[in-house]
Amino acid sequence: MNAYVEECRREWRRLGVPDLLAEEMATELEADLAEAEADGVAASEVLGESDPRRFAATWARERGLVSEPPPKKSRKGLWIGIAVGLVLLFIALPALALITLQSGSITTAKSQPPIQSLVLPNFVGLKACRAQRIALEAGLNVRKIRRPRCNAVVVAQRPARGTLIPYRQRKRTTLKLRLRG
Amino acid sequence: MRRKLIATTMCRMAAESRRSQMLRGVLDLCLLAVVLDEPAYGYEMTRRLRERGLSTVGEGSIYPLLGRLEREGLVATHRAASDGGPPRKYYSASPSGRRALTEGVRAWRDVRSEVDSVLATIKAEVAG
Repeated sequence: MNAYVEECRREWRRLGVPDLLAEEMATELEADLAEAEADGVAASEVLGESDPRRFAATWARERGLVSEPPPKKSRKGLWIGIAVGLVLLFIALPALALITLQSGSITTAKSQPPIQSLVLPNFVGLKACRAQRIALEAGLNVRKIRRPRCNAVVVAQRPARGTLIPYRQRKRTTLKLRLRG
Repeated sequence: MRRKLIATTMCRMAAESRRSQMLRGVLDLCLLAVVLDEPAYGYEMTRRLRERGLSTVGEGSIYPLLGRLEREGLVATHRAASDGGPPRKYYSASPSGRRALTEGVRAWRDVRSEVDSVLATIKAEVAG
């Protein structure tokens, strides 16, 4: 227990407790510990604290011999801030990526030159219904081909293949197909 | 079996923690009470508490608490020779300490009564 008291003395010296008062506390403690030992009482019941430095500091502080330690800057707020930041980052990153992609696709769409005109493909040799479907998908007018003639083959077309049709006029252009079969 | 042991240990730790918290609020009153009629030095106070059925093990040392009582003027101190030992620092309740004790005991009894009236209906079965 002498080692415990010696450690207390060192701590009081370090904290700037006046020598006279430090010695008074050390003497009091030594005498009490010796008596407790003689009684067969565990030192822990007298001390209640296994760390001599903490014990000495607490005692001196409670007696008003040293100033209260400055409150530790709470890192709780910092950790909460970091956590919130990370969560926001995880939310924001995909959102940002999505926005970027969307804007990219918009940009891409905008960057594509507008379609100026259509080059009429060759329908000759295609089956009637297939030729009709292609023409309709291109936005052209086609004379309706009845189902019984679906398998007929296109033998001629007007306008001819390769004809440039202004895109805006495609709906006013009627494709005429001559069929056989 | 092991799970039961862990659960029992956890319960015991929680109970000790609760006891410690409750005692912390009234240990100063207990110290004042044991030096009310007759001064005592530190270890002697621990002994008197134990004789009255209160073990301070686990509640921390009484010395910091005595230091606070001294700083607040609730105890008076003097040095005197002990029986065959070195001179000891004796503590006794000061007039303001006596007043604080009276008020503290009143507050404690009020709280105890209020808590008792709430908890009285609970049938506690103490195991072991």
